[in-house]
Amino acid sequence: MTVSKAFWKIALKNIGTIITYTVILIMFGTMNISSGSTTTSYEAKKPSIVIFNHDEKVGVTKNFIEYLEKNAKIKDGYEDDDRLKDALFYDDVMLVIEIPENFHQDIALGKNPEIKTRSSAGYAAELAKVVVNRYLTVAQAYAAINLSEEDLASKIDGALETSTKVDVNSEVDTSKYSKPTRYFSFANYTILACVITIICLIMSSFNRLEIRKRNLVSRIELKKMNLILLRNCCIYALAAWVFYVLLGFIVLGFDTIWNLHGLLYAANALVFTACATTIAYLISRIVFNSGAINGIMNVVALGSSFLCGAFVPAEYLPESVLAIAHIMPSYYYIDANNKIMEMQNTSFETVWPILLNMIIVFCFCVLFVIVANIISKKKQKIA
Amino acid sequence: MFWHNYKYAFRTLIRNKALVFWTLVFPFILAILFNMAFARLHDYDVFEAFNVAVVDDQAYKDDKVFSEAFKTLSEGDDRLFNTQYVDKEKAEELLGNEEIEGYVYIADGEPRVKIKANGSNQTVLTTATEQISQSTKMVKDIATTEIIRQAGQEVDVEAIYQNAVKIVSEAEPNVKDESRVMNMIVIEFYTLIAMACMQGAMLSSDMMNRCLPNISNRGKRVAVAPTRKSVMVTSYLLAGYTMLFLSVILLIVFMRFVLGVEFGANLGLIIALAATGSLTATMMGMFLSIILKTNDAAKNVIILIVTMVGCLFAGMFGGMKNFFDEALPFVNKISPVGQITDGFYALFYYEDMARFMVNVASLLAIAAVFFVLSIRSLRRTRYDSI
Repeated sequence: MTVSKAFWKIALKNIGTIITYTVILIMFGTMNISSGSTTTSYEAKKPSIVIFNHDEKVGVTKNFIEYLEKNAKIKDGYEDDDRLKDALFYDDVMLVIEIPENFHQDIALGKNPEIKTRSSAGYAAELAKVVVNRYLTVAQAYAAINLSEEDLASKIDGALETSTKVDVNSEVDTSKYSKPTRYFSFANYTILACVITIICLIMSSFNRLEIRKRNLVSRIELKKMNLILLRNCCIYALAAWVFYVLLGFIVLGFDTIWNLHGLLYAANALVFTACATTIAYLISRIVFNSGAINGIMNVVALGSSFLCGAFVPAEYLPESVLAIAHIMPSYYYIDANNKIMEMQNTSFETVWPILLNMIIVFCFCVLFVIVANIISKKKQKIA
Repeated sequence: MFWHNYKYAFRTLIRNKALVFWTLVFPFILAILFNMAFARLHDYDVFEAFNVAVVDDQAYKDDKVFSEAFKTLSEGDDRLFNTQYVDKEKAEELLGNEEIEGYVYIADGEPRVKIKANGSNQTVLTTATEQISQSTKMVKDIATTEIIRQAGQEVDVEAIYQNAVKIVSEAEPNVKDESRVMNMIVIEFYTLIAMACMQGAMLSSDMMNRCLPNISNRGKRVAVAPTRKSVMVTSYLLAGYTMLFLSVILLIVFMRFVLGVEFGANLGLIIALAATGSLTATMMGMFLSIILKTNDAAKNVIILIVTMVGCLFAGMFGGMKNFFDEALPFVNKISPVGQITDGFYALFYYEDMARFMVNVASLLAIAAVFFVLSIRSLRRTRYDSI
């Protein structure tokens, strides 16, 4: 009882740490910056465009602006050039287009007026250019056959109405799982940080020389005390898992993940929390200095989160980084989350890769416990 | 006495492993992790030809205009697609295995696209397919208009069609691109330097704790020493500042020459900004150390929180600086992290120095405020007898 009391007293003293990492999880784990989306119907991407129109809004110019309004998101309020430059740099605006004076007349006369553009560096900017060039190419072609401005605008509209039927080969709208995947993948950092910090701090307190001496001369057997500590570590880790899964369900909405997908996310997180506990156990066998624990925790949690795709989606990571990531349990945890998101039905083929990742994470647990025990025995011998 | 204190304070700082880790080692580790994680993020945003398939059945072969045009888009160095010509089953299999972004087939005389997920590549595939259909439609439309115009005359239909094809294929917009291509990821590294600067406030906080009788035993000892308090404080702060400035410069050198992060060409101004940022951090550390009547660890946690919140607003963790600048414009103006990040950004992205000068002036003003407030709290301090 005394050991358990001391354990929870130290845990409560560090409640600030848990709150900090929880706030970070809510802020970044629920941010909508998923890498891709899958819905059951096709939706064209719409780039953000700023238009500076130096011409009258009539004829082809009016038609051109209406076309852009239909095919892109038009942004206003960028008269300040510094603000515009910043927006281009940060990809908030993908393309700036300047329609010159007399644009509508020059097009109708078959001239090819110069359009000035500025774009951001991203892929979306290339899409924006495709949208703009498409209109201008059509206008240029029809202008060559001497039409009136009215006929020209109508012909352009007719040509641009051409559309291709797109079928989406997806039975389930998996885009609704991009947020839960982001949340549970980001939880890699939070679970590691909360579990490692608290368990290691508690273990280091019990490992302090004077406390160890005091415990050794107490009535309680060392083996029994270690078992009580281990049991409390597991209860703490389990409580952390319950808290983060419940928080996830609340933040993401029960409607979204109160289903098999949600159950798999929770099960995957449970296996990973167990793994984080064994990592904490291993670190506490190696490091006794409480000052060093924060540093080690940050290196382990941030390192695995950056390299395994918790912060930046794995598809954006270089091959070499992903190759290194294979030696970390976080990689398999995050990969399982991605596979849960893509799961279209509940067949063995779709569920097995997820289970396989969980089994690999569990194998890491066993490995960490074995290594920790070997180190622990060696340290005992030295003592 | 000043230089004697300075020397020993500097040596004490170097031997403090926790401080060395947070101010020197940790930013280096983060820089390496950033570099590994973000290496492909910008390249990923640059267009590259992607894999698609075409169902090469009789309907596709019969539609000569479409098949020829699609073939053109799949050839050469500036091609859009890496195209595989397969049957429908194989195309489905490739799509199911995510080996292609989508496939094109002809049904009822019209080209159709099948994809697995929405995305930029899928939009490009659909737009390109639409443009081919559109060009075909335009050729017919232009030719028909010409034929109608020439009604009653002798009409050379073939020549009219050839002319229409020429008009459509030669139509090219006159677009002048005035863009400056910049890598947005550099902001992550700039915020990291700002973070390293501000975490350095721990150094001056640690140094000030040694001068405060109500915080440490060493402070009591220092308070009764015959050396003037101003000499003690300035020598300790200068030692903290020196260590911080050197660690920030080391970090910049590492980022520039090992990781290849771009900072612009003006080395002198980069060093000046690092020096100003370090000064502001030193003053902030001094101020927090004086006003917070608590232990070292708690002060360091507060410095860490202030720094990380500043980093969030300045664009670390997803480059959201512009979003926060639009939503809460005053935050980055009064945040030292925001001003340091913006200073590096101004040096890299802006041609004129006005914005950079505002950043440096703001940092100096913030440092001056911390300094004045600290001195007001520090001078003429008397402790009651207990």
